[in-house]
Amino acid sequence: MRHNPKKILLRIFELLIIFIWVFPLIWMVITSLKLEQDVITKTFTFWPRNPTFANYTKAFTSTYILNWMGNSFIVSLGAMLITLVVDAPIAYAFAKIKFRGRNVLFWAVMGGMMVPFQVLIVPLYLQFNSYGMINTLAAALLPRVALPIGIFILKQFYEGIPIDLEEAAFIDGSSRYRIFSKIILPLGQSAMATVIILSFINAWNDFLWPLIVINDTIKYTITVGIANFQGTHGTQYSLIMAGAAVASIPQILFYIFFRKKIIAGIATSGLKG
Amino acid sequence: MKKKLLVVALITVLATGMLFAQGTKEQAGSQGPLEITFWSLFTGGDGEFFDAMVKEFNASQDQIVMKNDMVKFDNYYTKLTTALAAKTAPDVVVIHQGNLLNYVPSGSLLPLDSYFDAATLNDFQAAPLDACKFDGKLYSIPFDVHPIVMYYNKDLMAAAGITKVPQSAQEIIDASLAVKKATGKWGTAIDNTTGVYKAYTLTRMFISMLAQQGGSLLTDDASAPNFNNAYGEKALVWMQDLVHKYQVNPTELDYDAAMNTFKLGDAAFYFNGVWATGTLEQQAGLNFGAAPLPPIMGGQAAWAGSHTLAIPVQKNQDPARVEAAVTFIKWMTSHGEMWAKAGHIPTRKSVAQKDAMKALPYRADYAAAAAFALPTPRTPAWEEIYGTLSDKLEYAVTKNQNPKAALADMDKTVRDIIASY
Amino acid sequence: MIPGNKDTRDGIVFSIPFLFVYLAFMIYPLLSGLYISFFKWDILSSANFIGFTNYKTLFTDEKFYTSLWHTFEFVLMTTPTLLVVGFLMALAVTGTSPYKGILENIFFFPYIFSMTVVSTLWAWLMQKDWGVFNQALMHINLQPVSWLTNENLAMWSVGLTTLWWTAGFNMVLFSAGIKQIPKEVYESAAIDGATYLQSVRHITIPLVRSTTVLCLILQIIASFNVFGQVYVMTGGGPHGTTRVLVQYIYETGFRYYKMGYSAAMSYILFLIILGVSVLQYALLGRKDQ
Repeated sequence: MRHNPKKILLRIFELLIIFIWVFPLIWMVITSLKLEQDVITKTFTFWPRNPTFANYTKAFTSTYILNWMGNSFIVSLGAMLITLVVDAPIAYAFAKIKFRGRNVLFWAVMGGMMVPFQVLIVPLYLQFNSYGMINTLAAALLPRVALPIGIFILKQFYEGIPIDLEEAAFIDGSSRYRIFSKIILPLGQSAMATVIILSFINAWNDFLWPLIVINDTIKYTITVGIANFQGTHGTQYSLIMAGAAVASIPQILFYIFFRKKIIAGIATSGLKG
Repeated sequence: MKKKLLVVALITVLATGMLFAQGTKEQAGSQGPLEITFWSLFTGGDGEFFDAMVKEFNASQDQIVMKNDMVKFDNYYTKLTTALAAKTAPDVVVIHQGNLLNYVPSGSLLPLDSYFDAATLNDFQAAPLDACKFDGKLYSIPFDVHPIVMYYNKDLMAAAGITKVPQSAQEIIDASLAVKKATGKWGTAIDNTTGVYKAYTLTRMFISMLAQQGGSLLTDDASAPNFNNAYGEKALVWMQDLVHKYQVNPTELDYDAAMNTFKLGDAAFYFNGVWATGTLEQQAGLNFGAAPLPPIMGGQAAWAGSHTLAIPVQKNQDPARVEAAVTFIKWMTSHGEMWAKAGHIPTRKSVAQKDAMKALPYRADYAAAAAFALPTPRTPAWEEIYGTLSDKLEYAVTKNQNPKAALADMDKTVRDIIASY
Repeated sequence: MIPGNKDTRDGIVFSIPFLFVYLAFMIYPLLSGLYISFFKWDILSSANFIGFTNYKTLFTDEKFYTSLWHTFEFVLMTTPTLLVVGFLMALAVTGTSPYKGILENIFFFPYIFSMTVVSTLWAWLMQKDWGVFNQALMHINLQPVSWLTNENLAMWSVGLTTLWWTAGFNMVLFSAGIKQIPKEVYESAAIDGATYLQSVRHITIPLVRSTTVLCLILQIIASFNVFGQVYVMTGGGPHGTTRVLVQYIYETGFRYYKMGYSAAMSYILFLIILGVSVLQYALLGRKDQ
């Protein structure tokens, strides 16, 4: 069985797929290490002819890229924390409490996923302006904290927690709040991790809203900031790729640290559908 | 566990502080320079020249500090419009002359007549300044004019034995064919496909060529299309023929590709706005010249855009900030030679006389083009007409659509658009 | 039944934090949007009430129809593809391959990148004259392909980018479903002489049905709201053949200063997505119970 040619072919195919899937990212890095005149050139070379960090130097010295990253971190962490605080209780309510209007409310919340964001921009802007919050990072994150998919994932998970545990706690005289904080939350950690990741990715990748609501260049989030790498007239590919690579580092680190939990967590939401 | 909580609490407090921080506003009445803000849509090369100017302005005096925040062009107007609606726009903004009509009628911009004396205004060229006036009032100050021009590759022309820069429609075709025959390279590079940008170049050429025949894109009062006629057909057919009949212009050519094709010496004649000069002159080994848009259809006329500087109306307009904004605008326009490095043509007569201006290569070659620059039609529907025509012309040119049918379709579409405003 | 029934009160208390945020940042602006859709408004001047005119106009607007059609095209193109690819990926990472760990990570990895990064990167890979895809094709003496500038290809190219970007998410959902299936089911099938393909067809696919429904609904919602990838990669071109509805909504509102009309189109899109989701749930979801 070991040298089954079919299997060997399959393995080769898998390696090929791995290569294809990673290649775009490799190409991003290779391009970013080239000089622009070696990018737009008639004599194409795969590897950089004159490997250079010039694009990275430019990204770091002539822009606020570190501030932008810091801002993105604040926005994403803020969005993530608030999402957890608001999503988990209602998900628990949807999963375990039989209150009137539960189904209607649940679908009203899920309906939020279907709204095209463009329709919200102007009303939101005027709203935040009346609070005097234009040009704050808080304004950039607040519209992103109501994450219906997060509720969905948590609800799916909480439904799977056996009711016996709760009943036993009830008999011991625990209140709902105690049950929620002492039983449900600790048991739901993996689903929680997923929501953490999704809300983080979601807020980190947001573009149009922070662009409109934040004015100072130094307060941009990274996605807004690197968009400015695109020139008014014409595109400098090597510089843009360097910017894209730098902008992706935090997400990559985040992924490496939480990889297992993300995948395990998303998985839980798929179980019951 | 306690420690963890403490750390979390600390981070939360710090983060909350940063979340709501609105940045440093100047303290009213205190000493020190007044900080005023500006939004520009200049990124990349343009952005670098512009930032250098702002830096020099800040160094030139100690009363005002200008803070420049830039936004990528595609999203600039989205941001500006929402900010103007909430009256949170900065002290000075840049607006294309063609977009002014979207902001003037709603009273979003401050009339400037009382802030500029006659001597200053007389120093501006009349045409671009008049384009900023609505109902007799001045709403912005032209910072530059950027007409479409023709760049030509001297080496390719020499290789094909062409000694004179072609001028007429037939001369350009003949020269292109000669270049193609002698070198195998493209004759012209007119972008005709949407990429990062729409195929605006086609619309710009079309507008220019209509005017060169004495026609115009829209009627004088901008109330109806005016191109569904022999003028329009002649202009459209010329652009189609370059691609299909003579095959001297690549098809499926987008904006970036057109620029790069010329940059790498693969096309002899390149049509784009003057802003390309800054990029082209950085290309090593490219031996090129620049000329005003030739009278392809007989007369002299060229599409042109114009960046103008305007002062938004604020909830509580602070006279000191308005004065500072006016000072900034005066300084910027009177140092147009610095902005000319990006390729644009300055608008003040005194700037044209400066030695620094005369010393710049290429710019003098096309400075004359400002004289026959066409102002954008005065209609709030302009942005939609411009974008839609570019899509339609893209289709007509790349598909070699029947010109009469194409023009009839475009005519109907433009009528509908105008009616919808 | 849990004793001490205070369900309604508890339900409300637990829902309040979310509902507060949801009302403030979703429902309120959404209703404002509805209100705006009955006006002719350029955002800056005062608004004119025009009743249902915006809704009537859009039914005769050719660009609305073409954009809506392009959105449908994208939905029809990407939904089945992303589901099938996600499923195949899930089969691979739940199989016996020694590389399955690597595969799982590699497939999911692109999902973490932002739309801007992914779209700019792929626009560069697919660039006609200097992009690496065409360089590779020319290297093996093939004709270069107009990935983004050919009207028949451009939407597929955007779809391909989306596939690379988000198929991993579907994979994770599917692989969770597959892992739930007891091993014994496969073992007994193998004893009965079922081939791999047969067991996939008769065991795996039916048993991950509920996951499929979930994926389908999420995928359709995401595909209907497509905007960023198209906007960055093709700008809606060539000659408007990839302009999707959300792009048209954006342009109408913010470039052409027709906020009311833009809001009206948003509402129509919202209703379409809602309708499709409800329909799917009714057709597919019910059978599960």
